[in-house]
Amino acid sequence: MRDRERSVAREAVLDASPEEIWEALTDERLLGEWLAEDAELEPVPGGAASFRFADGERREGTVLEVEEGCYLAFSWSRPDGSRSVVRFSLEPAVGGTRLVVVERGPAAATAHAGSEWTRRLEAFVAALSLVGV
Amino acid sequence: MGPERIDRVFSALADPTRRRVVEALAGGSTVTASTLAADLPITRQGVAKHLAALRRAKLVRAERVGRETRYQLDGEPLEDAARWIAEVGAEWDARLGELQRLLDRRR
Repeated sequence: MRDRERSVAREAVLDASPEEIWEALTDERLLGEWLAEDAELEPVPGGAASFRFADGERREGTVLEVEEGCYLAFSWSRPDGSRSVVRFSLEPAVGGTRLVVVERGPAAATAHAGSEWTRRLEAFVAALSLVGV
Repeated sequence: MGPERIDRVFSALADPTRRRVVEALAGGSTVTASTLAADLPITRQGVAKHLAALRRAKLVRAERVGRETRYQLDGEPLEDAARWIAEVGAEWDARLGELQRLLDRRR
């Protein structure tokens, strides 16, 4: 359902060239140093993307978009079956390279019966502040 | 939450009186428009109008009980979205920090 989609965006100007960052995004050994404990990534559309995290969680997905030095997108699915899409984009910026990462998530079909309203509102206020209101 | 939904939620909550209505329902109350109006400095008709806007934004749910319509907050989508946004955002903050440290080590 479209109105249950959600996304998170982060951007950072990193003190490195686009080439250096591209390598960190696509080299399996380097991915294993910052994104996950272990990573397998075949940076071609349709290639496999597979990650294992420090807590043992695994996420599996598929490479969706690749434009060397510009953008990379892949899907990953959590063990609960929820699938989201991660997209990195790079552009030169003053002081380095701007990296934007957007993770677009699924509709979660979780019910929260009996939740306490105070907590809901606190979570809601937190969400408002996260989207910058 | 998609952008359209966020727009609807934000425009519904842009009005200070509507935020008062949301706050009045935030204790978990399931009440009629008349009961809400008694607690707020607005008329019953005013409350009904604001409740209709909140329903369109799917922030409030209405339930017919006999001849009455009772209202309650419907914040589950928000809660769910808020948790996901907070968790995924925190993960990326940590990873981007690691990425910068990795890039620094490789210089």
